Amino acid sequence: MSRRAEYTDKAMASEAVVSVIRERLGDAVEVVELRDRKAGLSDAVCFHDLWLRCPKDKLLEVLDILFELDFPFFHVMSGNDEGEAVLLNYHFSLFQGSGRASRLGVAVSVYLPKDDLTMPSIQDRIPGAEYSEREMREMLGINFMGMPDESLVFLPEDWDERIKPWRRDEAGPKPEQIRELS
Amino acid sequence: MAVGEAKTYKIPIGPVHVGLKEPITTWLEVDGERIVDIKVRPGAIHRGIEFMARERNPIQVIYLAERICGICSFAHIESFVRAVEDAASISVPKRAQYIRTIMLELERVHSHILWAGVACYTFGYDSAFNLGLLLREKVMDVLEAISGNRVNYGVGTIGGVRRDITPEAATALEDMLDYYRREFAAFYEVATEDPITKARMRHVGTLPPEDAVRYCAVGPTARASGLRVDLRWSSPYEAYADIEVTPIVPQDYMGEVYGDVFDRFLVRVLEVYQSLDIIEKALLGLPEGPLMAEPKLPKLLALLKAADGVGWSSIEAPRGDDTHVIRLTKGDENVTWWKVRAPTYANIVSWPIMFRGQEIADAPLIVNSIDPCISCMERALVVDKKSGSSEVLTKEELLKRSREKTRRLMGR
Repeated sequence: MSRRAEYTDKAMASEAVVSVIRERLGDAVEVVELRDRKAGLSDAVCFHDLWLRCPKDKLLEVLDILFELDFPFFHVMSGNDEGEAVLLNYHFSLFQGSGRASRLGVAVSVYLPKDDLTMPSIQDRIPGAEYSEREMREMLGINFMGMPDESLVFLPEDWDERIKPWRRDEAGPKPEQIRELS
Repeated sequence: MAVGEAKTYKIPIGPVHVGLKEPITTWLEVDGERIVDIKVRPGAIHRGIEFMARERNPIQVIYLAERICGICSFAHIESFVRAVEDAASISVPKRAQYIRTIMLELERVHSHILWAGVACYTFGYDSAFNLGLLLREKVMDVLEAISGNRVNYGVGTIGGVRRDITPEAATALEDMLDYYRREFAAFYEVATEDPITKARMRHVGTLPPEDAVRYCAVGPTARASGLRVDLRWSSPYEAYADIEVTPIVPQDYMGEVYGDVFDRFLVRVLEVYQSLDIIEKALLGLPEGPLMAEPKLPKLLALLKAADGVGWSSIEAPRGDDTHVIRLTKGDENVTWWKVRAPTYANIVSWPIMFRGQEIADAPLIVNSIDPCISCMERALVVDKKSGSSEVLTKEELLKRSREKTRRLMGR
């Protein structure tokens, strides 16, 4: 299936995007917040950020719905070890090529339980996600199923791959492995 | 291997190489002079900045963010403080928004002129390089007049700015605008109309528009491939809400778009003029008022300690979209976590497309064409495994080893 590889010039209202997601995915995806981003002398709303939360098996479905609206530009993945689970936030943008003040930021949060730290890779849909998936793999220990290149990206060649620098549990670095630079 | 069968060789460029300003390794697979494939291996200067931020409060992290990069230091501050302001729902006074915009554009001017100069240097056009660096001094002087520093200005803070545009600074700015409008044309002509420049940059390192989309290229790299994308336009922040910015794409100026190194050069040079116009408008429309939402630091820290939420900011840095995401937890003074995605991190993914089929001699030019900022891209590494073979060397240890080697050579 060939997906679009261009930015649309037809933007949709942010609220309309929310309705599409609600309509198509119902309760499976939680719409956490549609945040107004204001600026300028008149404090006008210039764009929105949409925060979603979804179970991990729904991410690709969310992504495919975004693909129907525009090519979802991938910014980055942010993440954290939250104790019981590892949080991953996928940051996308829609309509960034559709005109002034038309961009909609879409952040999709996924919680991965510690006993199953796997996610489907999105690189077949968005090749630009390569470095972020490799970074989250080496820093937080997430396995992205189907990623073409599993080599380290930022950590040194001889890094002990059992150590995941951003983890806060036993997989993370021990205090004695951290050197404080004064 | 049979005679005549194609055999490829692997050649490394980097981690340290004359064509690179910062360390990164690119393994080129070559067949004769032609590049067949490339593998990029960053990681040489990952400093662990996101990790360090976990033990610092947001005010302290501002200065850490500023040191991610020496060129776009204000862009990183801007993106970071905007993410914090988003997480803590702080609104920024109008005057501060305008001053931030002026700083962002000054930084773009100096970054683009530096890049254009270095690009000329890469293919041996040293007189254009010297001219570029000479021109750049003016904006550095103005940055110094405003902030006291040539790099790492210390101007941004959460909820505002720390330095005002004084009448003297405004005069320096106006003087700079005149200077560039008068002098920059020489560089523009020298660089764009020179036949050698065109011969070296045209059809080199081409990134087709559909690949620029799929590989999520950002900033001048994306615009040079003909994509009309600019966060100042698609999602205005600060004074860009009042000052309209339209993305600069080669087809509007040259009638056609190639997506090659020349187009990346052209976009940056034209954006210098655009930045001058933005600075002029921001200066004319500079509103009166306070510089900070909360000038008292202890009060601001208390407010940030009480904040709970995730903040996200994507801004248009000189090299493209700079994204910061931050989490503040109620009751916790420090930043819970922080993610930085510098523009180079996004643009480097499309290097393999740009390199395939090119000649080795063009490799440094292609590398430089996205204006890579390796320090920006790589931020981590305070963690090291003492028990194993790798160790982070401190300056003292390096000095000690260096002296030991001298002694060894002297036979003592």
